[in-house]
Amino acid sequence: MIIFTLTRNELYKIFSLVRSYIGIILFTIIVPLILWGYGMGTSHIEAEIESSVSEMFFIEGSPTNGFTAAYFIMNFFWIHIPFLLALVGGDIFAGEQANGTFRVYATRPISRLSIFISKVMATMIYTFIFVFYFGILTLGLGLAWHGVGDMLVFQDGVLILESSDALRRFFIAYSFSFMNMVLVSSIAIFFSTMVRNAVGPVIGTMALFIFILMVSTLPLDVFKSIQPYLFTTYFSNWEQAFYDPIPWADLFRGLGLIVSNIVMFLGIGLIIFRRKDILS
Amino acid sequence: MTETEAMTPQSIATTIEKQSSPALACYGLSKRFKSIQALDDVSLTVPRGSIFGFLGPNGAGKSTLIRVVAGLIAADKGQFEILGKSSLSGHKVRQDMSALVDRADFYKNLSAYQNMKMLGRITGHDSDEHIDRLLNLLGLYKRRKDKVKTYSQGMKQRLGLAQALLPNPKLLVLDEPTTGLDPQGMHEIRDFILKIAAEENVTIFLSSHLLHEVELICSDIALIFNGKLAAQGSMQNIFDNIGDVTVELEVEDSAATLTFLEKNDLVSQVTPLAHAIRIEIHYSKIPELIRLMAAAKINIFSVSQRNRLENYFLSLMEGK
Repeated sequence: MIIFTLTRNELYKIFSLVRSYIGIILFTIIVPLILWGYGMGTSHIEAEIESSVSEMFFIEGSPTNGFTAAYFIMNFFWIHIPFLLALVGGDIFAGEQANGTFRVYATRPISRLSIFISKVMATMIYTFIFVFYFGILTLGLGLAWHGVGDMLVFQDGVLILESSDALRRFFIAYSFSFMNMVLVSSIAIFFSTMVRNAVGPVIGTMALFIFILMVSTLPLDVFKSIQPYLFTTYFSNWEQAFYDPIPWADLFRGLGLIVSNIVMFLGIGLIIFRRKDILS
Repeated sequence: MTETEAMTPQSIATTIEKQSSPALACYGLSKRFKSIQALDDVSLTVPRGSIFGFLGPNGAGKSTLIRVVAGLIAADKGQFEILGKSSLSGHKVRQDMSALVDRADFYKNLSAYQNMKMLGRITGHDSDEHIDRLLNLLGLYKRRKDKVKTYSQGMKQRLGLAQALLPNPKLLVLDEPTTGLDPQGMHEIRDFILKIAAEENVTIFLSSHLLHEVELICSDIALIFNGKLAAQGSMQNIFDNIGDVTVELEVEDSAATLTFLEKNDLVSQVTPLAHAIRIEIHYSKIPELIRLMAAAKINIFSVSQRNRLENYFLSLMEGK
């Protein structure tokens, strides 16, 4: 089927670019570094937690174990990953325009819709690989380094989750995070269809992201009424995977808004791309 | 049921009609960019098997028409057919067509082979033998594993031709394929175009503002000015209708020849040059003049026309 052939081509193009590996290399360096630092500097936190909760609870393993480390890193990076994903999503259309390769590619007997779908699919596969790698790296390396144990979640106090349930919760958290990152990639694709250079979409994506993030987090009455409709309001919804019990209704309400934003940005992107004149 | 059994008189008629239809036919194509009317009701026909030159000054609308046909931009009005398939059928109209629009650009961090493989995969023409044959035809086989960013512009243009030939097109659309090349590169591309037309049995639609280039290789031409088609037809027909042309004669005895020409009614203007004599003469009268010169025992070494198409082009422009 032509879509799979085109998607294969798009993946080939993505993975032949150095920029596609920037985020992966960055995390390969920084995650072990954080895990090392985490191991060096948590002894006093560990002692404090143990003294405050050990009289009420029995904590299996070290409270600063691999699960807690992975949770800590997830909290830290959810705002940085979008920037790295925008490097690829922002280049997917605009890069071809800037390099003039669309003149060769788009003259083939293939529809603009097929080209668009294949580019979106390839970007989403890249997004998945990125999030999956991040998950494997933080969780896998965290567990290998700091061991298994009950997980501490700091949410309106300290919540202790059993180690046997932690992996399921991480799976849910990463799944919802992935959808958030799909939205980031969709915004980058949307900007990419509009311009002819790869820098614009990256800046555009991050500017929009930061602007909406500010509006959704500022505790001002004037923004309160629109905050439930802003996608950034739900960007930390993955944290709810570690609540007890998991608020599924809230999680899916947030997911609904994220998905509707994905559809909107990709839909507008498709309309722009189908009508676009490829001039240079 | 076999294919033959399935044929009806209507399907046979349709097949014959498609086989006899032109390689490219445009009907009333119009395109506007803000205040500029890039194409204004352009209709033209490219016969099958021809090397068709599409001429016009910069900004006349050549590239716009080619981009419309190649699917890079949409026309505001009108439609076109490629080998009998209508543009109303969407991207399928380009099933038997391939194009090299403007400068050839590729994925620079990939090799020529990798670029060809990726592009060939789209239409199912990605076998190594096919790719190697085309790279060999265009003289790039030895460098096929090198990244395109190490290629000269001439090599990229040749790779552009190779990629355009990947789907075995019946119509090859080339937009100013020699732009930016040095004289040797231009010569090479011209040779390749003639070779492709002969060996691959491809109709070639070639846009250019280089009149000399078109005159050298094209069998048919069309001229466009300010988005409007000014003329079209076979090169022979157009030359038959050309008025005076410039001809340079290399002769043994220049002085005697000058005297002869100045007295001759066929020649409208005579200019002596360092090693030749330049004359202005009606195109159709050239054979008669040569016969007369031969009868007058003037030894002629060469007779060469200068800027035949340019004269025609300029006369049309002046009339606009």
